[in-house]
Amino acid sequence: MSTIPGQIRLSWQDPVTGEQKNPLLTCPIAFGREFARMPADLQGQRVARIVLNSSQVSRYHTLIEWVQGHIQVTDQNSSNGTWVNGVLQPSCNVSSGDLIKIGPYEIALMFTLDGRGLPTAEASEQSIIQVPEPEAAAEPDATPVNVLPPAFQAHQVGVQDLYATQLPIEEIDYLAVGAGLGSFIWVNFLRIFGAAPQQIRALGIADRPYARYQRLCLNSQIPPHERLRSNSDSCPDNIWGWPGYALREAWHEFNKGKTKAAWHYLWQVFAEPTFAQTYTPRAGNVFASIDREAVRIGWPQIYRFGRVRAIRQTNDGRYAIAYSPGRRQTAFVIARHVHLATGYPVLQFLPDLKAYREQTRDFKSVVNAYEDHNHVYETLERQGGTVILRGRGIVASRIIQRLHEARHRNPHISILHLMRSPKPQGNRFGKAQRLVDNHFEFQPFNWPKACWGGTLREVLEQATPDQRTNLLADWGGTTTADRLDWKQLVQTGLDQGWYQITFGEVTRVVPNAQARPTTYIQEQGPRGEIQLEADFIIDATGLDSKVKTSPLLNDLVTHYNLPLNPAGRLAVTNDFELLEMRNQQGRMYGAGAITFGGPYAAVDSFLGLQYTALQAVDGLVAARAPNLHRLNGLNSLRQWLKWAQNQAP
Amino acid sequence: MTPTLLGRWQTRLLLMETVGLVITLLFCGGFFGNEENAIFFWLLQYIVVFGLGWDYLYIQIQNFRWDQDWPAALQWLAALWEGLFLILLREVAAIELPGTEDWDSGLFIVHYSFVWIAIFITSQSLMRLIFPRWRFRGGQWL
Ligand SMILES: Cc1cc2nc3c(=O)[nH]c(=O)nc-3n(C[C@H](O)[C@H](O)[C@H](O)COP(=O)(O)OP(=O)(O)OC[C@H]3O[C@@H](n4cnc5c(N)ncnc54)[C@H](O)[C@@H]3O)c2cc1C
Repeated sequence: MSTIPGQIRLSWQDPVTGEQKNPLLTCPIAFGREFARMPADLQGQRVARIVLNSSQVSRYHTLIEWVQGHIQVTDQNSSNGTWVNGVLQPSCNVSSGDLIKIGPYEIALMFTLDGRGLPTAEASEQSIIQVPEPEAAAEPDATPVNVLPPAFQAHQVGVQDLYATQLPIEEIDYLAVGAGLGSFIWVNFLRIFGAAPQQIRALGIADRPYARYQRLCLNSQIPPHERLRSNSDSCPDNIWGWPGYALREAWHEFNKGKTKAAWHYLWQVFAEPTFAQTYTPRAGNVFASIDREAVRIGWPQIYRFGRVRAIRQTNDGRYAIAYSPGRRQTAFVIARHVHLATGYPVLQFLPDLKAYREQTRDFKSVVNAYEDHNHVYETLERQGGTVILRGRGIVASRIIQRLHEARHRNPHISILHLMRSPKPQGNRFGKAQRLVDNHFEFQPFNWPKACWGGTLREVLEQATPDQRTNLLADWGGTTTADRLDWKQLVQTGLDQGWYQITFGEVTRVVPNAQARPTTYIQEQGPRGEIQLEADFIIDATGLDSKVKTSPLLNDLVTHYNLPLNPAGRLAVTNDFELLEMRNQQGRMYGAGAITFGGPYAAVDSFLGLQYTALQAVDGLVAARAPNLHRLNGLNSLRQWLKWAQNQAP
Repeated sequence: MTPTLLGRWQTRLLLMETVGLVITLLFCGGFFGNEENAIFFWLLQYIVVFGLGWDYLYIQIQNFRWDQDWPAALQWLAALWEGLFLILLREVAAIELPGTEDWDSGLFIVHYSFVWIAIFITSQSLMRLIFPRWRFRGGQWL
């Protein structure tokens, strides 16, 4: 591909969604928070205007121009300045591979001054793969919507038309689609608010609500004894969050005579995060507690195996759900109230790694951290080798920990952590700033704590959709947990040399003569392009939950022309209703990652799922949904006592 | 805890005037072997009123914290300060608030400690059980 001088490939990761953006633009290019405040043209040339959402970005922040054979970056008197390769710069020339930082946005610039070909980058929507499912649940992805009866073509389905198909039909008050953790938590609230098990159905492909979550945990190197990333009060098994996991674990240790450990956990929850490392529960304890609660609320009666194909309104104020209870079978549920919690449909891949896998059909050397990749550790433990790690979130930390363990078996393992840019300072919001150490940005959880139930939750709920995008960019971004053991690991690795950090923008990944992946990166500064050899590349950059990647949601959104929020997820009200789907008495709600970008930041977390379920069920109470009563005061206490005695609600 | 200002005020008023009041009335009635005296009731009201002001200050401090949170440890430090403030007011600045003519530092410390610990324990447990929305609303229970 040939390019004209002044053409630049910009590339950055969206701090809100984690998505890769790679536009190819011609100078002049303006950056700012408000489109209208940036100049439309300069000296007769049209300006490419890029809106960056963040309160740390000024209305018109930075301009990139082609000046006498150079690319020049000029700050436009912005409040927080423009940083080039980590240095505050009012104006300077840049080279290809340089990185400019504008608020929370880190944008890499790739160009050739002589107009030679620019490296191509793929569009982000192609850079995803389906989350792999266990063999039992997997099914040929045959034409989901086509197998549906013609009645499903209509805007509203006639209930009689469904009965006319003579396929199995069930009518129910409450239906949870997904049967994962979000569904389980919503059902938990329904049960405690008064609904009976026979009024509720949950459709999904695994009988344990945490099955998929557990699989993603195991793949991303969280074995049962490891600790998760949520606080003591985030209890999917207990809607009150009391007693939290710390108290339970302390009690348990106390009974085993381990007083010191018990006091340690109590001290953690007392002093975290300022005077002690944040307490987080062990994965295994959380799963065991969910098992107990599942039996208590009658989950085995409520759950049914079924792959949900499509959802329609009915002509009598309800919803018709078509699903496959087995191979080539179709059945329907007709429900008054529906809750969608389908989680992450796909794994997000870096474009260059996705391209490598497609070209080479080599799915062993280049892997995603969320897919099963144990062969990487097994091979390394046998033969030693080099791993390139991409991404610097919590999953990257866990992989470093796992590789460190592998080094006990085979010391000839080294890690090359490839980062796009140095991280001299953390995100800023208002008067506060996030902590940084060794180019990792730290935060106890994936959002500032007050997003769950404090000041920041209120601020976000009251904000307009545009302001919400700004706030999410300010609070978001990739962070890892401030764990002493991990910090020490990184420091030891750096000191001993088996762990190294390299900065640069990847231009391509190609196989070498031995069919090992070779990464070409554009380094900042004079060194230009360098190549890195590795035995394995692990992509720890993330998961994607855009609506269009899920056939079920995509069909729903297309059929009813539903609005999406600025992050491309389902637009929901403050109580998480899909308002446009309201059908007389019928209500439809959403939860989890599929609603991210709306009124609540931490939708994809245990506590966030509890918050959204509480909002949704309170909404149902207000709509006089069958058998539900508002839970408060002594009534709430009575329900808690039942929980404590393990009695059905 | 991740309180909001309104949440701080509501929780303070509720806990002080229920749990705190019960303990205070016991003190007023001489239940702990002390002399009967209404001073404890007045002291409790001063703690509440000054506290509403302190809460405003705490929220400002919270803004400097990235997580905008208020760990239990800071709750204890704040409580320590609020108690100390009343002692300083009386012992150092020699300001006698109406109703507190029979001031006794030792008794105040005992009374205040009882009230505060009872409130802390309630806020960490019973509040969540009675008000399931409380923890999501920054401490608002209304
Ligand atoms: C590795 C990892 C670690 C995490 N750690 C934490 C943590 O420590 N603390 C915390 O609070 N949060 C954590 N989270 C976030 C969050 O709590 C989990 O992702 C949680 O599982 C989200 O619940 P969910 O219901 O939205 O999705 P899931 O639990 O994934 O449930 C969705 C379910 O829907 C099913 N489904 C989808 N489409 C269909 C269909 N068409 N028909 C039938 N079924 C369908 C799926 O099979 C799946 O079982 C973590 C997430 C990940 C990925």
